[in-house]
Amino acid sequence: MRGLFLGILYGIGIRSFLKVIVGVKYLNREALKKEKQFVIVSNHNSHIDTLAIMGALPFGQVQNVHPIAAGDYFGSSKIKAGITQLFTNAILIRRSKNTDAPNPIELMSAAVTRGESLILFPEGSRGTPGKMQEFKKGIGILLQMHPELFFIPIYMRGMGKVLPKGERLLVPFDTYVHFGNPRKCKATEVETIVKEIEEAILQLN
Amino acid sequence: MNIFTSKIYLDNIEVIAIIGIIIGVLVFASTLFYVWGLLKPTADLKELKTRTNSWWAMAALIIITTLVHPALSFIAFGLLSFVALRELASISKNVRDEDRRVIIWCYLAIPIQYFIAYKGWFNIFVIFIPVFMFVWIPFMLVIRGTTAEIGRAMSVLPTQLMLTVFSLSHLAYLLSLPNLEGFHAGGRGLLLFVVFLTEINDVFQFIWGKILGKNKILPKISPNKTWEGFIGGILSTTILAYFLRFLTPFTGIEALIIGFCIANAGFVGDIIISAVKRDIGIKDTGLLIPGHGGILDRIDSLSLSAPTFFYIVYNLYYAG
Repeated sequence: MRGLFLGILYGIGIRSFLKVIVGVKYLNREALKKEKQFVIVSNHNSHIDTLAIMGALPFGQVQNVHPIAAGDYFGSSKIKAGITQLFTNAILIRRSKNTDAPNPIELMSAAVTRGESLILFPEGSRGTPGKMQEFKKGIGILLQMHPELFFIPIYMRGMGKVLPKGERLLVPFDTYVHFGNPRKCKATEVETIVKEIEEAILQLN
Repeated sequence: MNIFTSKIYLDNIEVIAIIGIIIGVLVFASTLFYVWGLLKPTADLKELKTRTNSWWAMAALIIITTLVHPALSFIAFGLLSFVALRELASISKNVRDEDRRVIIWCYLAIPIQYFIAYKGWFNIFVIFIPVFMFVWIPFMLVIRGTTAEIGRAMSVLPTQLMLTVFSLSHLAYLLSLPNLEGFHAGGRGLLLFVVFLTEINDVFQFIWGKILGKNKILPKISPNKTWEGFIGGILSTTILAYFLRFLTPFTGIEALIIGFCIANAGFVGDIIISAVKRDIGIKDTGLLIPGHGGILDRIDSLSLSAPTFFYIVYNLYYAG
């Protein structure tokens, strides 16, 4: 039921809205169909980013893919958390160590072990459009724990213009979501893995 | 969605004839380029192929919407204007970050302009964008309060509206023109006439340029365009206009003059958009991701030929 609901919501509703009204163009979307399980890593400029990736997923995959979202932002109220859970399947994580919420890496690792896929924005927060911030280490630790896991790099351009941080009004502009082909990490150290992913994303620019 | 209204148009033998011709030409073009590509794999046919494909889309759009319900044509043309304006606003470097909220006003002008066209309110139609929006947009920019480079935004945004919305809405307005006695094809015939001639003019220019092209006409803006292509295209289009005049109320002489005007306006529209793109550096640096053909390339010639054609016809046959 839920799979059908999310599949229709994203595969038809959100996708047509993004393509017709917002002006999102997908490049090499076939990359998503090549593997069953993967972790998507992307640059991050806007709330639209997650929608744009979810809207690109193959119909049956939507339920299986969990965006990793900041608990302090999207879980700040019960209503916000409820909406996020209902419409996105998101896994909410903590961003600071001072809370007693579960360890983010363990949450992600458990999802991967269950055979599920993730969407990760290693920049941590939406930065200035056109500039990439330094990546957080989480993705490196996760891929070190699961070296068999495929990652799909994505570079998005223009999302920060459509709905920048702190703005509520969505303005249509042509935007591009460029998918890289799924691949496994060659590096084994946390830092080098992070670097490899960063380069893979920048290559799509 | 009254399918039976289509009967009215199917009675129009002229419209059926031109639909047949368009589909025939497109089938011929697609087959030609396919075979040409097979015989000569080195030939660069990408431009021709993408153009043909977009004509298929445009032909399908015009034919289907006019056959199903007239109002659909207005929605379809409005959507075309929207996508074109969005593309132009996205690539323009003169649109500042602060202007994003003002661009919403530009987008909102689209449904209003097409609604006016649908209703056939001619006096409002001709002033809404060139007068009202030309005041409204600067006003909205001013109350946002950022004055740095505001003059650019004030001129660029209304000009983008003119190129993508005002111009194309004339195609839709053709469908709102009243019936003339003794002229059966009506607005539909006029619409097909101007769209078909504008697009075929592009092809004629391209083909003549390939065959005879030597002297560049505007090397800094469009390096592929030549005097030979330009003149050959205009002559061919003018002659073709004479034979397509059964779609219009024109006499032979009028058809020749109007065909000549459409061909010239199409060329001018084409190079205006080329110059805008060159200014942004799209053709040189590949700013946009390769393989993406924008909608602007498809409607550039129409954006000038449509209003040119419209006002000639209007003043000759519908005014007063």
